[in-house]
Amino acid sequence: MIRMFLSGFACLGFIALSAMFLIWWERKISAIIQNRMGPMLTGFHGTLQPIADTIKLLLKEDIAPAGIDFLSWWLAPFFVTVPVVTAFVVIPFSSSWVPYDLNVGVLYICSITSICVLGIFMAGWGSNNKYSLLGGMRSAAQIISYEVPLLLSVLLVVMESGTLSMQGIVHAQEHGWFVFKPHLAIAFVIYLISSTAEVNRVPFDIPEAESELVAGYHTEYTGMKFAMFFVAEYTNMFIVSATAATLFLGGWQGPFLPGVAWFLMKSYFLVFFMMWMRWTLPRVRMDQMMSFAWKLLTPIALLNLLISGWFMLKV
Amino acid sequence: MGEELIVNMGPQHPSTHGVLYLELKLDGEVVLDCVPHLGYLHRSMEKIAENRTYTQFIPFTDRLDYLASMNNNLGYCLAVEKLLNVEVTPRAQYLRVIIAELNRVASHLVAIGTFAQDLGAYATPLFYAFSDREKIVELFDELCGSRLTYNYVRIGGLSGDIPPGTDKVIKDFIKYEYKQLVEYNELLTHNVIFLARSKNIGILSKELAQAYSVSGPILRASGVRWDLRKDEPYLVYDKFDFDVCVGTVGDSWDRFKVRLDEVTQSLRIIEQAIEAIPEGNPVSKVNRVFRGTGESYLRTENPRGELGFYLVAEGGFNPYRCKIRSPSFSNLSVLPALIKGLNISDAVCVLGSLDIVMGEIDR
Amino acid sequence: MAIFLYIKKFFISVYSIFLGFRVTLKNMFKKSVTLDYPLVKQPMKERFRGMVDLIPPDCVICYQCIRVCPTAALELAHVTKEDKKKEITKFVFNAEFCCFCGLCEEICPTDAIYLNKMYEVVYFDHQDMLSIDLMKADKYKFLNEKNPSCKI
Repeated sequence: MIRMFLSGFACLGFIALSAMFLIWWERKISAIIQNRMGPMLTGFHGTLQPIADTIKLLLKEDIAPAGIDFLSWWLAPFFVTVPVVTAFVVIPFSSSWVPYDLNVGVLYICSITSICVLGIFMAGWGSNNKYSLLGGMRSAAQIISYEVPLLLSVLLVVMESGTLSMQGIVHAQEHGWFVFKPHLAIAFVIYLISSTAEVNRVPFDIPEAESELVAGYHTEYTGMKFAMFFVAEYTNMFIVSATAATLFLGGWQGPFLPGVAWFLMKSYFLVFFMMWMRWTLPRVRMDQMMSFAWKLLTPIALLNLLISGWFMLKV
Repeated sequence: MGEELIVNMGPQHPSTHGVLYLELKLDGEVVLDCVPHLGYLHRSMEKIAENRTYTQFIPFTDRLDYLASMNNNLGYCLAVEKLLNVEVTPRAQYLRVIIAELNRVASHLVAIGTFAQDLGAYATPLFYAFSDREKIVELFDELCGSRLTYNYVRIGGLSGDIPPGTDKVIKDFIKYEYKQLVEYNELLTHNVIFLARSKNIGILSKELAQAYSVSGPILRASGVRWDLRKDEPYLVYDKFDFDVCVGTVGDSWDRFKVRLDEVTQSLRIIEQAIEAIPEGNPVSKVNRVFRGTGESYLRTENPRGELGFYLVAEGGFNPYRCKIRSPSFSNLSVLPALIKGLNISDAVCVLGSLDIVMGEIDR
Repeated sequence: MAIFLYIKKFFISVYSIFLGFRVTLKNMFKKSVTLDYPLVKQPMKERFRGMVDLIPPDCVICYQCIRVCPTAALELAHVTKEDKKKEITKFVFNAEFCCFCGLCEEICPTDAIYLNKMYEVVYFDHQDMLSIDLMKADKYKFLNEKNPSCKI
């Protein structure tokens, strides 16, 4: 019991720290890519900037626009944040550092993170703003359709390792990371693309789409509610990267350094890659994105699953 | 047929380039109808011109198309010179060509950057474009002491000669910019997402473009070979060797590409002009008094199209009437015809490719 | 054959995205083009047009600057003494009207009026901006104290 409480608090602390670090890091990476300096004033190279931002957001007035659907507007940030936080339950930081190693870990993480779409849609619906509504609609369509190739690529990992437990999958990669096997490499690429869409990042940031929908579903949110969306976005990014690191890159396994270090390095590298992608690529259009998911990613993932499944049976 | 949704895009919207207000009628995400509303930046420039002397109005022309102030200054001064038959020294003419082309490069860079931004390439191309533009702006700062509202061209010349060493700075910039253009091509022009977003979006046919009297890169992207620098040469443009860039289809990508190609052509003109600057005195003193009668219309090729100044003088120190034909106004008028039936995303893309400047539309 | 074209197109697409990544990667190692602004400031250019300033003894009270000013930002009044010497009674600059075009500087026959290099012009009181007495020597002292870097 105490252990569970402790790990819960540790996870919450980690989420807060990680989100803050990622916000700072994103700003720094964008600055480096764009030949700028980024935040420089607060702390060493602006390291304290997220804290300053948080304080600012905490002190801000919580404005509720007129004509909102109060319940869904009020609950939406929680519906986005809570699943992201609970997803940490099965993330294996090292061989022993895991809050609770469920035997259906992969299934759990996939199902719990897809609850986010509910919160996003509630935010879009409840805000009484046309841009938010469009953002919410787009996000519902996007996340649901990218769930399919994502799960298909995860399924391959499960087939390969023969277990749904996250720790079990890590142990199955003791003799070589899954990403080095050709069929799983394809699955990895599909996973990366669809998880980018899952967390609404460029090139699939259609629900937010700054130049079209102002800020999409969180246009009307201010203060701490906005901060919750923000934290959820960055934590979600970490979750999908951590999952990818666990499923394909051998999790906490690696020589010399302790497991936690390896795990964090791998996850943050993937996060870095997502950020790099954000600051490089333009945004795709809604229908293009949908046709990309259904006409390209899903068939490839299915085909990949079929062929590798056939090989597995034969061998 | 679903329920229609009316969305007010602007005047405060990240991608309406200033204070444009588009009233969009949507069916889902498809634009059924679009009504642009103007006037949020109206300063009654034409009336101001009637109450100022010819020289005094030059700073106001800076505020028309604030991304290409030099070209506006130049257009106005050329119109006044035509009206009052003012002589201009050859050195001033060459320097005018150089600054006008440099400003065209700067303006097109902003257009490229903001277009990419509208397509969702978060800020990176915009910052690259702005850091290139910064070099031109620094140069202009050196020439005239300001970074946006230059007020450099005077009736009958320029406000000051270029400082020594400027030609080397310009040559260095040209070399640097050629390298940068490769980067834009790699980052944007042939990027698959960029192509998917802008190819065949908002196709403006030749006939429609001419019917709406669209001008500048947008007209040329539709395949009409019309460039005032070639067809109706003013200054000393007829002495330089450059191509008129035309597009084939007239879609958003063509408009983008034409701008990118025009940067190259402008650099070519500057290269030739800088080699051939004659000696002389380009400076025209401010305290010269201009008055006269008559009327003149002169159009110049601005980065955004044809900028025309129609001036009527009745002997006073100030014009009796000044009419400004601003390119962005005509270019914007084609927007509703272009975006009917497209998505919101595409509407933003088309608007970005038109590259309007509100200061010029509202005047 | 269509399938080959499709595959070719696919690889070209991937390559184009790769090119974009290469550009941004290259730029990661370039030096920053911006400055750490409030701590490091760019020196202003020789011809920079900042706030309007005056060297009172040089002024010959010709009223040319008043006449040329497009926005009527300058206000000048004078009295003629018995020995026919003119003396300025009022020379006021309205920073809110000013469009910093520099025409007054250009037209001044004695270079008495000029635009200095101040660019961080912030006043606490709106009224202070409307009538800056150009005859006073310490008219921009307040600004200078706040921004030692752009001292004139």
